[in-house]
Amino acid sequence: MGKQDRAVRMSLQTLRTLESFLENPTDELSGADVQKRSGLASGTLYPILLRLESAGWFVSRWEAVDPASVGRPRRRLYRLTPTGLARASEVFASFGRGVLT
Amino acid sequence: MNNKWVDGFSRSLIQHAARTAPASLSERLEEEWSADFAERSGQLARLRFAVGCCWATRVIAHEYLEPKVVAATAAGPTTGSKVMSAFAQPDYSFLSRRTTAFVLIIGLHAVIIYGFATGLGHKVKDLISLPIDARVWDAPKRVDLPPELPPPPKLTRTIIEVPPTETKFEVDKSGLQEVVMAPPTESQGSGTAEPPPHLVNRVSGGPGKSFPNTDDYYPAPEIRMEHQGLVTVRVCTDDKGRLTAAPTLAETSGYPGLDQGALKLAQAGSGRYRAATEDGRPVSSCYPFRVRFQYKN
Repeated sequence: MGKQDRAVRMSLQTLRTLESFLENPTDELSGADVQKRSGLASGTLYPILLRLESAGWFVSRWEAVDPASVGRPRRRLYRLTPTGLARASEVFASFGRGVLT
Repeated sequence: MNNKWVDGFSRSLIQHAARTAPASLSERLEEEWSADFAERSGQLARLRFAVGCCWATRVIAHEYLEPKVVAATAAGPTTGSKVMSAFAQPDYSFLSRRTTAFVLIIGLHAVIIYGFATGLGHKVKDLISLPIDARVWDAPKRVDLPPELPPPPKLTRTIIEVPPTETKFEVDKSGLQEVVMAPPTESQGSGTAEPPPHLVNRVSGGPGKSFPNTDDYYPAPEIRMEHQGLVTVRVCTDDKGRLTAAPTLAETSGYPGLDQGALKLAQAGSGRYRAATEDGRPVSSCYPFRVRFQYKN
């Protein structure tokens, strides 16, 4: 999935996902973290995360831990890109939410 | 439900979902979902998470397929095989369409055979077939209006005020008091002294105090046509003032509607007649009385 800034269909679930990141745009969140904040089901959340990453709004990386030492798989961490932050802010501003600029 | 069994089943679902995702995402999704799965607490939450991952796989595979098809189509008309190969993605569902249809057909046959074997068909038929409810409704009675109804006298007048009637009843007072001679005895003519005649004081009956009001039985069509008249009705009552026979018309008013109204009034007054008396003792008797329907503007 290439990184490119293209139009993203804004559904209510997408807005809730973005809102989870806009609480602190510099945070890196795993899918489980976003799920806790947004309350979305996994079947809805992960396609949205991949969609936004594909659109260039998010970047993701693996957690820098050794799975053998921590005894669990690595988490995938997502973070808003500057482009994603700007686009998300525009979207929420158009709804009159007055979020980050 | 065994917790280990639920965990194992959920993990299997996640692995299955991740492995049926597009190949380039399969490993990533399996590790990512496994890590997030470990953070879930509660068997039900984990099971929901795993089922959600299965659904996510279908959505991701669908969205992953679209750009490939668009790119292959945009390459030109000579790349038909590329378009077809773009569609030729693995089936991400648990069962293929053919297998699903086959299973459905087998299941349907099994249900039908089971129905025949157990007589379930008859039970279903009895449940579906409702009892026939045949009701014969009586045709509404036709109300014959008076012939040749003249137009209302004043079209602008909307409220018809029924004027109060004056004297309603005129009891035939001729029989109010009678003197009845006692029958002659055998001793008459024998030269012995005749006993004095026995006088019977007879008072004729008539409508009592609580007799129905004539206005209530003044037929509306007759009021509209301003018909009025005097009807003589003959009734037979017992010593309680109750009718012993249906009232009969003794003298018509000339208007059938008024006559009928008077008969209805006489019938309705049963039990409210003043019984005739003989020497003050109520007795059964028949007597006429008159009902006057009088129209007043």
